[in-house]
Amino acid sequence: MDVIFSLIPGMTILGLFFFAVLIWAVKKGQYEDMEGNASRILLDDDDDKMM
Amino acid sequence: MPQSGKLITGDCFHCGLPVPSEANYHTQLDAAERHFCCLGCQAVCVAIFESGLQGYYQRTPEGVLLAPPPPPPKDIEIYDIDEVQQEFITSSGDVRDIHLLVEGIHCAACVWLIERGLQRVTGVEAVNVNLTSKRVHLRWDSKRVKLSDLIREFTRIGYSAVPYDPENAEGVLNNINRKMLYRLFFAGFAMMNLIWISIALYSGADKGEFREFFHWMGWILSTPTLLYAGYPFYRGALGGLRAGRLTMDLPIAIGLSVTYLYSTYITVTANKIGEVYFDTVTNLIFVILVGRYLEGMFRHQAVSATNRLMELQPRVATVMQEGKEIITLIRGVQLGDHVLIKPGCKVPVDGIVLEGVSAVDESMLSGESAPVTKAVGAQVSAGTVNTNGALLVKVGSTFQNSTLAKIIRLVEEAQTSKAPIQRLADTIVPWFVLVTLICASLTFFIWNTHNFQIALMAATSVLIITCPCALGMATPMSIAVASGLGAKHGILIKNGLVLETLSKVTHFVFDKTGTLTEGKMSVAYFHADSKIDSKDIIRSAGAVERYSEHSVAKAITAEASARQLNFLDVDVQDFQATAGLGVSARVDGKNILLGSAEWLARNSITLKTTLQSQVNQLESQSMTCVHCAIGGDHVAVFALADKLRGDAQKLVDELRKAGISMTLLSGDRKPVAEAIARQLGGMEVIAEVLPQDKDQVIQHLQQQGAIVAMVGDGINDAPALIRADVGIALGSGTDVSVESADIVLMHNELDKVRLATLLSQRTLRTVKQNIGLSFVYNAIMVPLAMMAKVNPLVAAITMPISSLVVIGNAALIRNLFKNEKR
Repeated sequence: MDVIFSLIPGMTILGLFFFAVLIWAVKKGQYEDMEGNASRILLDDDDDKMM
Repeated sequence: MPQSGKLITGDCFHCGLPVPSEANYHTQLDAAERHFCCLGCQAVCVAIFESGLQGYYQRTPEGVLLAPPPPPPKDIEIYDIDEVQQEFITSSGDVRDIHLLVEGIHCAACVWLIERGLQRVTGVEAVNVNLTSKRVHLRWDSKRVKLSDLIREFTRIGYSAVPYDPENAEGVLNNINRKMLYRLFFAGFAMMNLIWISIALYSGADKGEFREFFHWMGWILSTPTLLYAGYPFYRGALGGLRAGRLTMDLPIAIGLSVTYLYSTYITVTANKIGEVYFDTVTNLIFVILVGRYLEGMFRHQAVSATNRLMELQPRVATVMQEGKEIITLIRGVQLGDHVLIKPGCKVPVDGIVLEGVSAVDESMLSGESAPVTKAVGAQVSAGTVNTNGALLVKVGSTFQNSTLAKIIRLVEEAQTSKAPIQRLADTIVPWFVLVTLICASLTFFIWNTHNFQIALMAATSVLIITCPCALGMATPMSIAVASGLGAKHGILIKNGLVLETLSKVTHFVFDKTGTLTEGKMSVAYFHADSKIDSKDIIRSAGAVERYSEHSVAKAITAEASARQLNFLDVDVQDFQATAGLGVSARVDGKNILLGSAEWLARNSITLKTTLQSQVNQLESQSMTCVHCAIGGDHVAVFALADKLRGDAQKLVDELRKAGISMTLLSGDRKPVAEAIARQLGGMEVIAEVLPQDKDQVIQHLQQQGAIVAMVGDGINDAPALIRADVGIALGSGTDVSVESADIVLMHNELDKVRLATLLSQRTLRTVKQNIGLSFVYNAIMVPLAMMAKVNPLVAAITMPISSLVVIGNAALIRNLFKNEKR
């Protein structure tokens, strides 16, 4: 069970890393338009098939 | 593929609204006859098909109602001036970046249409639509295409775009909200990790070899959370204490500190008996931050939505220098300069007319619906609209001293002198805090005589148990849910706190022009006395008046097209307009005159007594009468009035039933205001009020003990909107009034005032319930804690439950409008 002495701090550091990634994403404006980008990918160049 | 219900007869192919019976707009598109509700929808739809972008209609999601295209922005040429552009663009050089606020974006299909449509224009390098904030980021080559042409392209496909500076408008708010979000993320991260550690501790690890390790892990995670994410509470508590008030932040800060310090003490001394409460610390921070963030986010959304309604203020003026027209920025205009104001433009400065005659629409300032004729020597005010003739004006005061600027200053004054709204929770909180602190101290001193360890633990658990989560989240959660629901129904709540006030309002004050009425002239009655068919009279009149920009003329043209008379084919010759009197022209070889009685008299036409008696009667109802003469013969009379909004009567009836007193406030002449009030019934009338006196009327009512809500739309209403306990502005109103109001009605439906009142009553009830719930919880748990009977497991389970109950109860507000049409 001694492994948890390294696992728990390890997970915390990993968590902090993802927290940093999240801050970076917010700063880059990734969350500014949730609806638009979600739909944009569905509305791309497939005119022929839609007609 | 099905056309999402757009083919059902009776609905406009473009916007899906019902086609009015008298409308006659149809086009052959894609081998099918399409019907439209208005010329705007038709033009936009044809433009979309011409560009080969008809895929737009397939992409529109089911159930999304489009709206007819918004009116195009005016004076867009000024954005081609480099100095004006400089205020908006983020990069100089030939390739420029700009943010545009776009009105009319509804759904993802609009994103597709705008990006596709604009990318076709040569010179456009990048288009990016933000659907959430209804903004477009545009990069274009100013050498190859003009900005005004790009804005025109927006208009062509049915949107209205104006440049705007994102930093200026909402930069600060954005920044604050973002910092809050980071704190929230961090608290959430720490909380989730600590929950696992707590579970381990509760399930037996606190007895074994890992006890200290888990305690230290808890300390490592909660220390930065407390210092970073919990900082706003300490700042709030200290700020409150300094101002001599007990705020909600104080028990939160004390609770957090005591819990944290006690747990740290257990950790550091490696005590074998006590428990650590690091999970409680982070939980508390996280849950309360969620409430605060929601509160901020909804306010933020409302603000960016009102930005959409921003209207153009005059930015440039055409200054005449040595016979040449020079376009100058408004701050560069000097006193005594001669400024040329073209028809259809806004008056950029206050001044005195030197040359020209024109009708000026002063409704923004005075509320008066009919344009005022300005001749040489008359005073014109900045912000008013010059309708039909060119005017040369000598600048009488700089922009800072104009009437418009004075009203804006009045708004600022009212803003600073208005008493802040007292939240229901805020009135209770100081007492709650006091009682909590007394209970905790009592617990400590009584147990201290017995055992210090138990005393400390019991006192701490009193502070933790009185968990201010429920109380702290009672108001913000309810308001957040209510604001979201309101926004869905076209009610933008800018200041959530007024939701508590609105349900207590005892007196509604309505502005007349543009609020209860539509704010524009329309033909109310038509009387003819002639051998000529009335249809032909209206047809000829409409044909002639379409050459005039006057609001009276527009009303008559609108009447002719509403009656489906094909007046566009009528040949009109020798059209001449005389400002303030009327127009003359030749139609089918006959002289036709339209205008005042004096206009006919000047052209030596005798008025018919039969028509004149009608006129006297109509004018006593304060309608404006336009006489028509054909071939030297007085044939007909048009009576014009400002029509009531369709839902005004319903709203007034509802409010009267609810026992709310109402006042009609108008800058217009008394008979006109009284006619409207009579029509609606049961309203007090205060007419001929100057803009600067409107807020005094409100103040007077407030001094008599009334809680006042003001509904208005014009700049002249802005000070009153702020002064009132609740200010409600119509979305079509001017930007100043929209900025001044607490609630903005997006679709100009007065019925929404009723919905807002319902929403407010429901919100207040939920807030009260939530406060009640948190008291019940405390009444059960505090005595237990004081008896030192609360073990950490019980505390850990009951605390989140109290918060969840409050959140769940607030979420129930969403069901309120289930039966209302959106």
